[in-house]
Amino acid sequence: MGTYKSLLDPRTKLLLVFVEATFVLATMGGESMELFRIIFTVVPFMLLISSKRYKTCIIGLMVLFITWALEYIAYPHMSGMLSYLMLAVITVVTRFLPAYLMGSYVIQTTTVSEFKAAMDKMHVTDKLTIPMCVMFRFFPTVREEKDSINAAMRMRGIAFGGGKVSKMLEYRIVPIISCSAKIGEELSASALTRGLGKTNRRTNICKIGFGIWDYIVFIFVAVTVIYWIYGVFR
Amino acid sequence: MSKTENTSKLNGRDLINIGIYSAIYFVIVMVFAMTGLIPIMLMLLSSMVAVFGGIPFMLFLTKVKKPGMIFIMSVIMGILMFVTGMTWMPIVVSVITGIISEIIYKSGNYQSISKAVLTCGVFPLWAFGNYLPLFLQRDQYFADRTEYGQEYADAVMKLTPNWMIIVLLVLTFVCGIVGGLIGKKLLKKHFEKAGIV
Repeated sequence: MGTYKSLLDPRTKLLLVFVEATFVLATMGGESMELFRIIFTVVPFMLLISSKRYKTCIIGLMVLFITWALEYIAYPHMSGMLSYLMLAVITVVTRFLPAYLMGSYVIQTTTVSEFKAAMDKMHVTDKLTIPMCVMFRFFPTVREEKDSINAAMRMRGIAFGGGKVSKMLEYRIVPIISCSAKIGEELSASALTRGLGKTNRRTNICKIGFGIWDYIVFIFVAVTVIYWIYGVFR
Repeated sequence: MSKTENTSKLNGRDLINIGIYSAIYFVIVMVFAMTGLIPIMLMLLSSMVAVFGGIPFMLFLTKVKKPGMIFIMSVIMGILMFVTGMTWMPIVVSVITGIISEIIYKSGNYQSISKAVLTCGVFPLWAFGNYLPLFLQRDQYFADRTEYGQEYADAVMKLTPNWMIIVLLVLTFVCGIVGGLIGKKLLKKHFEKAGIV
């Protein structure tokens, strides 16, 4: 992660995640919001470039262009079941990709302490923020464990097409849970030595605050919401 | 340790446990939720969540000794569903089901195994919140999803007459119980031996 200071405040990033989730992913507002949807599709790419995550950005762009190419070149020539399948794929990619990239940008550029500092500033209770901090810290670990256990089980032939499909549930899920629970206990011990068990208010050395870019995002989101409300009551 | 045991307030260790088990639960659930694109699978989604989520959830319940832990986990699930685009309804549902499962497990003093299985049946009903927009705002739901194509809309419509909401609710509950029973069996077979419980 390094000492790189990211462009936006963690609170602004969270706002953007929510906006992506409501307007792009859940397509709130329907057709009339199409223009804003296109802008919000572009935003994650710009943010990724700003934080020098070129690889994620290029892969995302390629996926997006391939789906657009499919939509405008190949789709009109299809019919029946195939076109329905393809439409489903196109929709899912164009809707999920921006939100996914936004999420990966936020996770890659926000440290856990920054997240905690932001939540403290918004006066969210510790009872909700600590579990969420632990969870985001823990997702990559669980995924790593899952991958290595899957690899080990494939070697033993416990996979689709391996002839032992019925054992998949027990032989895969159980080790994942045991490993993760063990790692979790260690994590919990290490967190407690750093004073998480105390009920006192903890300090945080992360300095967060709004900058010019944050205000630009706020204004833009406000415009989007106002336009949307205007559209609802028109 | 013994000094902190008698208080019913959540401490750091409990909160960390909630986070850890939410992560495990959500990863396992997500693996199966990815199949939700096919219309039939969409309907089976909450049942699958219930069955497969039952195993980590039973293990989580062995760590729950204080009021509030199940509720917090339920709310986190609701928030995650909101972020992944299921509208605000899952949050409301997850708050309600969280409170109910909290009460059920508390009535067994956080020890009874049969109450734990029952809790396992109620808890996954948060996944049910994802369907509510489908039933309550039918027209808007499909107006927003015209890109899926008319065939998709028709397929989903055919599978979701209004009485289906009750069937899904019961099915999810039953599957949750089944998941709880599987979890209980695995708990005995594996986790107790490994010293995790």
